[in-house]
Amino acid sequence: MIDTQLLISGVIFGLSLGSIFFLMTIGLSLCFGLMRIISLDQLLYYSVGAYITFSVSAVLGNIWLGVIAGMIVAGLSALVVERVVFRRIYERDLPFTMITSFGVLIGGVGVIKYFWGLVPRPVPVPISAQIDIIGTDIPVYRLVIVAIAFLVYFGIWLFLNRTIIGKAIRAGTEDVEHVEGLGINVYRLFTITFVIAGGLSGLAGGLYAPLIMVDPNMGLDVLAFVFMVVIIGGLGSIKGTLVSSFLIGQVVSIGSLIYAPLAQMAPFAIMLLILLVKPTGLFGSKMIKR
Amino acid sequence: MNVLRWWWGLLLAFALVALVRVFLPLPFANEIIIFSIYTMGCNYLLGRIGFISFGQPAYLAVGAYAAAFYLFYFGNNPYVGILIGVAAGVVVSFAIGPLFVRLRGDYFALVNLALAVIIFYLMQKVLAGITHGDNGLWFLTNLASTPVLDLSRPDQFFIFAFLVAFALWAFFKYLDDSIFGACCLATKINEDKVKFLGYSSFKIRLIAFVIANTTTALAGAMYAVYLGFVSPEITSPARAADPVVVTILGGVGTLYGPIVGSIVYTGMKDVLSKVLGNWELVIGFVLVFIMLAGEKGIWGTLEPLFKKLYLRVTGGAAARERSSR
Repeated sequence: MIDTQLLISGVIFGLSLGSIFFLMTIGLSLCFGLMRIISLDQLLYYSVGAYITFSVSAVLGNIWLGVIAGMIVAGLSALVVERVVFRRIYERDLPFTMITSFGVLIGGVGVIKYFWGLVPRPVPVPISAQIDIIGTDIPVYRLVIVAIAFLVYFGIWLFLNRTIIGKAIRAGTEDVEHVEGLGINVYRLFTITFVIAGGLSGLAGGLYAPLIMVDPNMGLDVLAFVFMVVIIGGLGSIKGTLVSSFLIGQVVSIGSLIYAPLAQMAPFAIMLLILLVKPTGLFGSKMIKR
Repeated sequence: MNVLRWWWGLLLAFALVALVRVFLPLPFANEIIIFSIYTMGCNYLLGRIGFISFGQPAYLAVGAYAAAFYLFYFGNNPYVGILIGVAAGVVVSFAIGPLFVRLRGDYFALVNLALAVIIFYLMQKVLAGITHGDNGLWFLTNLASTPVLDLSRPDQFFIFAFLVAFALWAFFKYLDDSIFGACCLATKINEDKVKFLGYSSFKIRLIAFVIANTTTALAGAMYAVYLGFVSPEITSPARAADPVVVTILGGVGTLYGPIVGSIVYTGMKDVLSKVLGNWELVIGFVLVFIMLAGEKGIWGTLEPLFKKLYLRVTGGAAARERSSR
């Protein structure tokens, strides 16, 4: 049916795409779990990360430095947005936070257009080497992306299970008021979570920048896929996010091998099917606003 | 007298809209009318049943493409085109409604946006053979001139759009006063209590969903007939927030919010994008500002002031009479 070589490269492509989705949606998921907000502006930090990677790597000539700088700047801009906007709206309902964060996203796209203009920018690939897997040439860079995603997953796991702050965040996901009662400043937890989320989105943008063109609307382009990932995985669940981002990655890449338009349609069909069976997504709980 | 009291707000509002037509160029007036119909659907969803939808362009595209298919391939009567657009809106919202309204508010918003993106790809790539992809369907010359109101002429189209909008607003005002309107509001505020009273919150939401999205499809069909051209651009994700922004700008859940919002939004877009050339920056900051300032919007802030003024002018005498008795 499909050529094995195509299939293998398709699977690897799907894995790397899934890794990018995972890095972006983990922020959304963490924010929802702890603060009960839907933070669409994660997509803004994704574009910020990509643009900083572009600029720094153009000046310094090293893309890895650019990716790190992108991650830091994305985290910092998340900090600013959290302080100025989100601090005031944690108490409000979900749709409210969603509209506000969409406003931040659109405004941020405007800021990016102001600084970098409308022209799409290319970023060179840092590792151009190819590796031979069962007779198929696979770009090493895509494998590196997958490795980084798994490192981040284990890092987050360690952070949430082995450190005091992480444990407090997990406890806050269950019941914020109890955590507050124990004398922990939950607003500091919120800030930390938000900055981590923004930084990871920036990392996703920086890592993905060499594989696509960097343009101001890149955040809006992946918006639908990110949404589908969080819906299928269930908001607030990190494991669900991991599973569904790799699922969607594979569906997009294998789907496009079979029939090109399937890449966009198939994830949507899967999402509808899953919602029919389980309206909260695969791993989502019936968490509501407290 | 009571009848007049029911109508006077509507009549006044639309007299003002008609006044807009005198001072402003025709395309601008047409844009405002259609956009306010478009926003009304979103406003009803958000203000009455508390569902925020970032996917309104999907239903706009359903109406627009249904009208466009008819006008491009089969016939040339614009009225029939608009009717077909509305019918498509009803069919599509009844088909997907039962699935969507079961979802929680946040999932609803996300799923709708995903739907808009899917319809975008559907129209741009999958059905490119029928929709001509990015080139769009051009059928302005296909439009036959119709008796009474000739829709192929912009000035007469304005009168038609004006009448449609007036009828629609009367309908929504009637809905607000009816038991169904009260049920919608109650579902938004406390779903469990509505169920306890013996109403099916699912049915209420489904009907409200169909009404709102049919309104949006009507706006789409009117866009198609007015512009004589439809392209996938109409449902692009970058424009998904427009109706939500305008709803919030005007004031969520208010009857005249969509009109005020569309006038301000279209005006700002026209003036500011010429001056600044950076539309997203402005609209993003305006949106965040309105949300932080109390999410009431322009009309939501002005309406209580007008009411107070009105009471001081007319109700003052009545109140004094009542207190002296």
